[in-house]
Amino acid sequence: MAAAVVGVSFSTPKVFAQITSSSKAQNSGKFSFINTPWRGCSTSFGHGRMVSLHPVAVVPDKLSDKVEESIKNAQETCSDDPVGGECAAAWDEVEELSAAASHARDRSKENSDPLENYCKDNPETEECRTYDN
Amino acid sequence: MAVCTVYTAQSLNSIPTPPKTHLGFNQKQVIFYTNTKRKSPNSKRSVTEISCSADKTVVIGLAADSGCGKSTFMRRLTSVFGGAAEPPKGGNPDSNTLISDTTTVICLDDYHSLDRTGRKEKGVTALDPRANNFDLMYEQVKAIKDGVAVDKPIYNHVSGLLDPPELIKPPKILVIEGLHPMYDARVRDLLDFSIYLDISNEVKFAWKIQRDMAERGHSLESIKASIEARKPDFDAYIDPQKQYADVVIEVLPTQQIPDDNEGKVLRVRLIMKEGVKYFNPVYLFDEGSTIDWIPCGRKLTCSYPGIKFAYSPDAFYGNEVSVLEMDGQFDRLDELIYVESHLSNISTKFYGEITQQMLKHSDFPGSSNGTGLFQTIVGLKIRDLFEQIVAARAAAPMAASKA
Repeated sequence: MAAAVVGVSFSTPKVFAQITSSSKAQNSGKFSFINTPWRGCSTSFGHGRMVSLHPVAVVPDKLSDKVEESIKNAQETCSDDPVGGECAAAWDEVEELSAAASHARDRSKENSDPLENYCKDNPETEECRTYDN
Repeated sequence: MAVCTVYTAQSLNSIPTPPKTHLGFNQKQVIFYTNTKRKSPNSKRSVTEISCSADKTVVIGLAADSGCGKSTFMRRLTSVFGGAAEPPKGGNPDSNTLISDTTTVICLDDYHSLDRTGRKEKGVTALDPRANNFDLMYEQVKAIKDGVAVDKPIYNHVSGLLDPPELIKPPKILVIEGLHPMYDARVRDLLDFSIYLDISNEVKFAWKIQRDMAERGHSLESIKASIEARKPDFDAYIDPQKQYADVVIEVLPTQQIPDDNEGKVLRVRLIMKEGVKYFNPVYLFDEGSTIDWIPCGRKLTCSYPGIKFAYSPDAFYGNEVSVLEMDGQFDRLDELIYVESHLSNISTKFYGEITQQMLKHSDFPGSSNGTGLFQTIVGLKIRDLFEQIVAARAAAPMAASKA
C-alpha cells in the first residue's frame, strides 16, 4: 500500500504536466485527487463511488516509457548496424508501440467521462434517461 | 441450405466440432432441445447456444500499414451495417477484435508466430511473412467461413506477447484487417472482397508526425528513421498486395495547394477493379468515359481550396480499373449532398445516405475529404455485395429444387 502511495506521488508532477497540457475543464475536478494522494481511492470524484486508481494520464505511463525506451534502443542498435535486420526490427517495435500509445490516447479520450461510460451500460437508470420530446 | 451449429460452453477451450444439422429449408430455424440428465458430482449447467445461419460467412479483407484498429474505416463500415462495433465484453481487455451485430473484425496481428522478443532475436519486422502463421490464418478463416467457431490467439500490442486465445463465433460478415490479408494465396481465395489502403509516403510522414510528436521521446528524426527502416520490408511484402485488391484507396498529397505538407487537404483515388462479381464500380456521369469535374461554380460555392473530381478508366497492374478521384475538402453539408447527387452506382438505399453517414461520424478523421467519402462509399458497396451474395445463395437451392 505504501509502495502504491509512493508510486503515485512520484508520478504526480508528470501527470500534472500532462493534464495541464491536455487542458480540458473536466480534469479540474481531478486535481484535488492528485494532490492529496494519501486520501486513497474511496473518495475519488466526490461521488462516494468506488473508482479504481488508474493513472489519469492520457497515455498510460508504462506505455509512454516503453515508447521512449524503444526509441533509445533503436537508435543504439542502428548506430552499430544501420542496414541489418535488428535495426529494422527495432524501429518496427517503435512503430508498434507508438501506434499502441496513440490508440490508448484515443481510448482514454473516449472513456474520460465516467457518467458517459456508466450510461452506455445502463441507459434505463434515472441519471441516464433521455427524452426526445 | 441452412446449417445449424451448436455451441456448448464447456467445450470453449478447444476448437469444437459441433454436430451439423442440415435442414432442407431456406429460412432460419430455431431448434429447442433439452439437455437430459448429465449428472456428475460437480456438474455445472452447460449453456447450449444454437445458432442457425442460412449462409456461409462473407469474408472481407482490408490491408493497411501500421497495426490494427484502423478504427476509422472499421467504424464507418460497421456503422453502415448498423450497430457499433466494440471489443468483446468480458474478454481480454487488450483484444484487437471488434464485434457488432452483423460484423466481426479480426486483426491479423493475432496470427503473429513470433512475439516482439522473438522478432527482435531473429531481426525480423512484423511486416515479414516469417513472423506470421499463415497456415493457422487460413485454417481459422476457412473454419469461420464454414460456420465453425474458432479459438483465435490474441496478440497483445502493449506487452508484445501472445495471449491465451478467445472464441470467435462466425458472424454474418467477417472482416480481416492487417498487414497480410492478401499475401497468402489460400487466404486470398477465401475473400469475397478485398480492399487495400495505400497511403503515399508524404502523407504517411505527415500523419505520423501528427500522431507521434505529442509522444515523449519522439522527434522528427526518429519518426523519419522509423518509416525509412520499415520501408524495405513494406515494399517487398505489403505493397505487392495492391494488385490483388478489388478496391485500392490511394491517399496522396493535394495538388490544389502548392507545397502543402500538412496532409490535411488530400487527393484520394478510389481504384476499382472491373469485372468483380457483385461489385459495380462507382462512376461520374458516364461509365467508362473520362471526366474532370469541378462542382464549385454557380450552383455551389466552395471555400478554399475547393473540390475537384476526376473519373476515368485505367489499367492497374495489368487489371482493368475505373478510377474516381477527389482532391480537396468539404466544408459544408450542401457541398457533400451536391457531390453525392451526381455520383452513380453508389448503392445507397435512399437519397442522401452517404451524407447522412458522413455526418453521423463528423468527428472521425477524414470526414471532410475523400478518405471519409470513399470509405463510406466502399462500406455501402460492401453492404450491397453482401445482400447480393445472400440473395444469390437463397435463390440457388430454390432453383435446384425446381429443376
